[in-house]
Amino acid sequence: MSKKNVVWWPAVINPEHDDKYGGYDYFKYSRNSWEAWCNRNDVLFVPFEEPIEKDLHKFRVNWQKSIFVFDELERRGIEYDQIALMDSSSMIRWDTPNFFKLTERKFVGWRDMDNLKWIYDSVMGYKDFFDYELDISKYINSGCIIFNESHKDFINSFKQLYYDNREPLMEMQDKIVMKGTEQTPLNYWLQMKNIDVKTNLPLPFKLTHLHRKDLLGSNWQLKEDPTPFFIKYGYIWFFNGIPKDQRTNIMMNTWNATKDYYKESNIEFTKILDEVKHKDTAKYTTSRKFKYDLLNTFSDEKYKEMSVLELGCSQGMTTRVLSYIFNKVYAVDWDTWNLEQAKKHCAGRDNIEFSQKDVYGGTWDFPNSEVVFIDCDHVYQSVISDIENSLSNFGDPIFIFDDYGLPPGEVKRAIKDKESEGKLKIDKYIGELPENLEHAGGTKFIDVEGCICNLR
Amino acid sequence: MKNIIFIIDAKLNEEGRYSLSRSGPYKYSVKSWKNWASNKDCEVFLLDELPFSNEEMGICWQRYYLFDILEQNEIEYDQVLMVDADTIVHPDCPNFFDMTERKYCGVPCEGSYDWILRSIEIYSKYIFGGTIVPFWKYINGGFQIVNSNHRQFFETMVQLYQAHKENFQTLQKTFFVGTDQTPLNFMLYLENIDVKLFPYEFNMQDMMRKEILDNELTFTKIGWMYHFNAIPNQNDYEKTFDWMQKTYRLLYED
Repeated sequence: MSKKNVVWWPAVINPEHDDKYGGYDYFKYSRNSWEAWCNRNDVLFVPFEEPIEKDLHKFRVNWQKSIFVFDELERRGIEYDQIALMDSSSMIRWDTPNFFKLTERKFVGWRDMDNLKWIYDSVMGYKDFFDYELDISKYINSGCIIFNESHKDFINSFKQLYYDNREPLMEMQDKIVMKGTEQTPLNYWLQMKNIDVKTNLPLPFKLTHLHRKDLLGSNWQLKEDPTPFFIKYGYIWFFNGIPKDQRTNIMMNTWNATKDYYKESNIEFTKILDEVKHKDTAKYTTSRKFKYDLLNTFSDEKYKEMSVLELGCSQGMTTRVLSYIFNKVYAVDWDTWNLEQAKKHCAGRDNIEFSQKDVYGGTWDFPNSEVVFIDCDHVYQSVISDIENSLSNFGDPIFIFDDYGLPPGEVKRAIKDKESEGKLKIDKYIGELPENLEHAGGTKFIDVEGCICNLR
Repeated sequence: MKNIIFIIDAKLNEEGRYSLSRSGPYKYSVKSWKNWASNKDCEVFLLDELPFSNEEMGICWQRYYLFDILEQNEIEYDQVLMVDADTIVHPDCPNFFDMTERKYCGVPCEGSYDWILRSIEIYSKYIFGGTIVPFWKYINGGFQIVNSNHRQFFETMVQLYQAHKENFQTLQKTFFVGTDQTPLNFMLYLENIDVKLFPYEFNMQDMMRKEILDNELTFTKIGWMYHFNAIPNQNDYEKTFDWMQKTYRLLYED
């Protein structure tokens, strides 16, 4: 078995804390989200539910989740690559990018500064024990960290630290400092051992203290989208910093509001998306997220009766995905070589009709289609021409546009102008935001990758 | 050429955020910055007379005339920190001008993301054509380090204001989601400005929310530059005055 990235998910029930936590039902919502995400990203979900040391007072779960991680993975015979330790008070959004690709194989953590007073007191409390001047600006949250085998010695030395000093550490933890369990000691240990910790991954991957950050609500002024901000803009949500006995209820509500996004159909989408290349490795196609958004937006059965005209099919990557969505795909390109490649990439799909044509010269005589996917010439006048021809020939089709945010912005301008004229209405932006778009050609987009207009 | 600390210390006599009492504690800010500057071979430039009336152009927007103002006053400059007057700097604050790599520098906003995200969405809808800026890179406007390379960008900011003046004023009065700060962040993003983000310790905003604005003045033990904003439950900036006075006395008089 080849090595896989692992999500290490500590979820040990401590019956003594049942009242304090209002039970542990929240585990299932965390688990649901993480299992689905792991499936989609070919990551191994590894729950840690049975403690190694049975005395949960002497060996708090938070200590055990850290110090035994390598022992336990190896005992279970798991061939691990990178390991993400993610607390069971968290949920991950269904479409979160694969953070393992962003680590540079360093120890990754996110800075913790929600309650800086708590952190300051905790750091000061352990200062004499460690006899070290800790840099608070590098203090990370221990419930959301990523590491790999190169950190095994470090973790094992942390384990040894605990075994050698369990009583004084427990004394500080439970009677003197009373600010957390293993988090502050781990921070001291990381800095004292000079571990290179990468702390600059974006905040959406570690949204803690949602209430303190005012992220539980939505835009109450515009009143256009009731989605809570943390769901809309965050990737990994930590339900901490709230009364612990409310955690289950809030996580249950979050799961109920989002569970459809985690459905098996999304797993099917993954299989389809894995059949083709995406913009991160092939500049001539759309991103994986763009194609995913197409599958998701047009997942209703009614679209399976429709035909789509694709103007500018290039090498057929998105064409193949369209063939899973619509009854018929009419794919057009002017370039012979592109069409040859497209046919190869769409092998086995029998509902695609390719044709070679310059859509800006000669008659515009394509088969009637309910949907038009415009990804042809990206000059303003050409996009206008594509829109006007589609409207005059097909009535009121649904439009899909790629390269909305392509610099210098001619596609966007054309769409916006047609929107001003009342011919188009942008219903949905799709694909990657500029900061997330990995473009094999290096182009930096100025806006979101695509949009859908006149959706019904 | 010296590095400059640029502070707007105009006394307005209007209501709310432009009241005279708001500027009462600014003297502590100015004194702290003058002290710091003298130890770091920098100069403080106080703008006490605005180029335009606050009605014609909001006070915060006027800072983007920075380079014109400095030149009109025959100030030679290398790098410039534009800093809000409701701040106090610790006397031992490291020289951040040495940390800039000569990039545009700021500190990400830390505090109420409800306010930040509403502001982003509202300006996105009414001014910036649906673009959304990454909220984790959104900087606070009260601490910006620039140099002459950014002159063109500031001109773009002024042009943006002139082009959308009425719209901006309407949005400010309708939604109360800030003046120049959110448009600044949109423009940094859209103009692809290389922004270096400094850590929170160099612009410690919304300290009450982080529970460090306390009687022990814990914030003075954690970071370098204290921004006395987002202090709740006050009618006329009296708590801001108290906190700034107390902080100044601890750091500079005790």
